[in-house]
Amino acid sequence: MDVKFLIAGDRAVSVEFGKEICLEINEKVRMLEEELKDNPIDGVIEVVPTYCALIVHYHPEVVRYDDLVEALKVSLGSMSSLETKKKIVKEVPIFYGGETGPDLEYCAQLEQISVEELIRRHSEHEYYVYMLGFAPGHPYMARFEEPFSFKRREEPRVKIPARSVVVQQNLSDLIPFEQPCGWNIIGSTPLDICNYDKEEPFLLNAGEWVKHVPITKAEYDQIRRDVEKGTYQVKTYSLEKTAGERRG
Amino acid sequence: MGIVVENGGILTTVQDEGRFGYQAYGVSTSGAMDSHSFHIANLLVGNPMTEGALEMTFIGPKLRFTRDNIIAVTGGDLTPMLDGETLPMYQAVLVKAGQNLSFAGARNGCRGYIAFSGGLDIPEVMGSKSTLLRNKLGGLDGRKLEKGDEIAFLAPKTELTRMGERKVPANVYPQKEVVLRVVLGPQDDEFTEKGIRSFFWNSGVITNEFDRMGCRIERDPVEHRGDGNINTDGISLGSIQVPPNGKPIIMLSDRQSTGGYAKIGTVISVDLPKIAQSQPGQRIRFIEVSLELAQSLYIRELNQMKELDEKLNA
Repeated sequence: MDVKFLIAGDRAVSVEFGKEICLEINEKVRMLEEELKDNPIDGVIEVVPTYCALIVHYHPEVVRYDDLVEALKVSLGSMSSLETKKKIVKEVPIFYGGETGPDLEYCAQLEQISVEELIRRHSEHEYYVYMLGFAPGHPYMARFEEPFSFKRREEPRVKIPARSVVVQQNLSDLIPFEQPCGWNIIGSTPLDICNYDKEEPFLLNAGEWVKHVPITKAEYDQIRRDVEKGTYQVKTYSLEKTAGERRG
Repeated sequence: MGIVVENGGILTTVQDEGRFGYQAYGVSTSGAMDSHSFHIANLLVGNPMTEGALEMTFIGPKLRFTRDNIIAVTGGDLTPMLDGETLPMYQAVLVKAGQNLSFAGARNGCRGYIAFSGGLDIPEVMGSKSTLLRNKLGGLDGRKLEKGDEIAFLAPKTELTRMGERKVPANVYPQKEVVLRVVLGPQDDEFTEKGIRSFFWNSGVITNEFDRMGCRIERDPVEHRGDGNINTDGISLGSIQVPPNGKPIIMLSDRQSTGGYAKIGTVISVDLPKIAQSQPGQRIRFIEVSLELAQSLYIRELNQMKELDEKLNA
């Protein structure tokens, strides 16, 4: 395994598994994260998984750099591919189009397909959560089949509402809080992507898969009411991976 | 009760050591910008050094005390006054209910800390009292202090042991050039040899784009090998990222947990308070040091704090 230890100052080291954004490399990042959860190294404060690297924040007064790298090498040697056969899927209901999905028709035009076909492509394939970042709970998600060809908008919007569903190419994000955004908005989810008041504030974890489920406006309003009451349960299940997804 | 805010100042927030364990979910750590001054303020009033305190910026707040408590003001000299009289800094002081603490303006440095014995009654969100303004998280409803706010004391004191010893010499911050020591990496290989040489050789100037998230520096562009973009990865405190325009940004307490620009180096932990106390317009220069030295200096700093704690609070 071609692993690099990159010094990120006197209190962090980045363990880099490669340069390419792909499932295979990201799963190694996640495997090391899991290994450090199961067998923690003394002095490690927290780890943050990203596309190709795991940054390890640590206390140098507990473990100095050289000793940490030695310990991480041991972790790399003993990490196992425990989770690689199953994938955890969370269903995220989406009301496509309407006032909260203003770019749906425009995207279908760009792609030269019908709105129905665009919704099918977005909701039929599961999206993989590579990492969370940018804002609390904000997922970076990608799918591996039938990517759209359109990219970002030419003019970014200064503000888009929380719970917007934004897309470009093979990527799709869920927006936790109001923010500026240059991607096209095709819908809205009634689920909270991040809610500080809940015991589990975040909808998604890195390494999970998201299945978008089309819903009507009436269903959207009902689910939103249930979410606000705290009675909504996110539908979660595990699936066998396809041969292509198992390579890692 | 505790304090009533008569005037919030420019930017006064509750900060502690920071919010850890949630960066993997995209939550910034936040925490005091000048951790050295913040730690000393707490130790002087008998608190654990990581207890939540007030961080103020340039122009401090005006606070009316509704209950007696022992406080300490540290960090930049924002000219603290108690009922119109000079309040000594870097020293534990008993403030009586009815007295007013105000600040007459920055004379040296720009960020001050007020620690209150026994701490402030601020709920912890995800394990921390720190305020993250951008995401309206933590602190006092996720925002800065404003006129009319009231914050209660948790366990106020009217006396502490060794009251006469509860003072330390004040820090003095450079008014002209700020020199920051840097450890290379994590992406120094994304820069040309010329880029790295000029990064250390030429100085820059701190711009107005300087807040709790980061500090942007105006200077001759630092040359990348490529375009300066990388696969988004984790960002540590003090990271110096260089976007495609070649102008470095030092990533500070409210930085995002991940980012997609190449990072040439990282300011060493013991020098971070120097940035926190610097101001737009000041010259800034980087010098390279080894990781070993950076870690040794950091551990020495922690040991000094431990000694102070044992001397005052054991």
